[in-house]
Amino acid sequence: MSEVIVITSGKGGVGKTTTSANVGTGLAKLDKKVVLIDTDIGLRNLDVVMGLENRIVYNLVDVVEGNCRPKQAMIKDKRYNNLYLLPSAQTRDKTSVTPEQMVALVDELREEFDYIILDCPAGIEQGFKNAIAGADRALVVTTPEVSAIRDADRIIGLLEANSMKKVDLIVNRIRMDMVKKGDMMSIEDVVDILAINLIGAVPDDENIVISTNQGEPLAGNDTLPGQAYMNICKRIMGEDVPMLDLAKNNGFFAKIAGLFKKN
Amino acid sequence: MNKNSVVLKGNKYGIVVVIAEDAGFEEIKTSIIEKFKESAKFFGRESMAIAFEGKKLSDSQQVELLTIVNEITDLNIVCIMDNDRKREEQFKKTVEAKLEEMNSGVGQFYRGTLRSGQVLESDSSVIILGDVNPGAKIISGGNIVILGSLKGNVYAGANGDETSFVVALEMNPVQIRIGDTIARCSDKPKKTQKPETKIAYVDGGSIYIDPLNKEVIGELNL
Repeated sequence: MSEVIVITSGKGGVGKTTTSANVGTGLAKLDKKVVLIDTDIGLRNLDVVMGLENRIVYNLVDVVEGNCRPKQAMIKDKRYNNLYLLPSAQTRDKTSVTPEQMVALVDELREEFDYIILDCPAGIEQGFKNAIAGADRALVVTTPEVSAIRDADRIIGLLEANSMKKVDLIVNRIRMDMVKKGDMMSIEDVVDILAINLIGAVPDDENIVISTNQGEPLAGNDTLPGQAYMNICKRIMGEDVPMLDLAKNNGFFAKIAGLFKKN
Repeated sequence: MNKNSVVLKGNKYGIVVVIAEDAGFEEIKTSIIEKFKESAKFFGRESMAIAFEGKKLSDSQQVELLTIVNEITDLNIVCIMDNDRKREEQFKKTVEAKLEEMNSGVGQFYRGTLRSGQVLESDSSVIILGDVNPGAKIISGGNIVILGSLKGNVYAGANGDETSFVVALEMNPVQIRIGDTIARCSDKPKKTQKPETKIAYVDGGSIYIDPLNKEVIGELNL
């Protein structure tokens, strides 16, 4: 049975696109047939993060307007044959697509894919409405900052008002060293405020920046965020995976120890 | 006399004079004088085309009417339009062919950086004085010359002309398309190299990118 997941946050810059790319890659790595849809029309990013920008010929708006078939617009990933990307249009705006059209498109893709992942734009306007229209469940991404949490709370409210069946939380960019010092909210604090199921936490890590710039998502490799994303994917599939201990590997000595272990 | 033996219709580009079929020529003349006098102010000094409809007029009659219009109004009548469909088609074809021919030799200048999401479309060749950033796109019926660095998408010879070329002071396109041939940049990030003026062209169904030198310039057909 296929599942349509929207990845949303309300606030911009908290890591929706990075999460989309990594969850998509992770699920593909777990042998699921996945399509990522970038619904951020006019500000497309997912193709860049996936490193597929140079392959774009058609886009989401072309598909919706009937200029091409979905098959023609979908780009096969560089590394995984069962992962596809439907890029967004850069030269149009959010009003080029309606929620009804998104539902129709998603329903068409359901037949072929195990997971359809929608990368939602920031904000709560038309783009958000388009993205959530066809979704079965939502992953709300937030960082442990008051502003991001405030927006996530608003988004969760809107999702519930739109009777989203399942809403899970991803806490992104957590820094255990700062949490320990009491300078940052802990994962537990965030979950307390938002009161929804936590599906995973991802540490703030320079590898994310590197992987984004290289256009190769790191889900499934041996970096800490890579493992964290992989665990999220397993939990999406219904597996019961214990939470990763984000505090490990974080100190200077742990890193040195890690180096020795590899050798 | 029928007051509506002549009716004027206008749009941005011309005036259509609709003439009642049963009207005599003298009647038409007086009617036209009257109508154009009324609307002379409205039409002003525009340059327009004129067409006669309804009644078939001989060439000399058309000339006579045209003289009248010219006398009464400040309009600059550029030409008389024909209502004959076949001839119209023929004219359209020749004009378009001529325009295309002219376009291949001319270019449109654009100063400034084309940023993500911006599209520059032109039937003629395009010369950019600035950069083309990733996410920006140029679509040209002719050639594309970029006096800056090309980091976005370009589509030269959009009408299918594979003899078109693309020149840039720094050639790092995401995607390049000439006629019906598409090429994309490699996935591996390139080592930073010294910027060099390069040309992209089609040869045998593939796009080649070479440094621009006198030899290559000599081989271009413009």
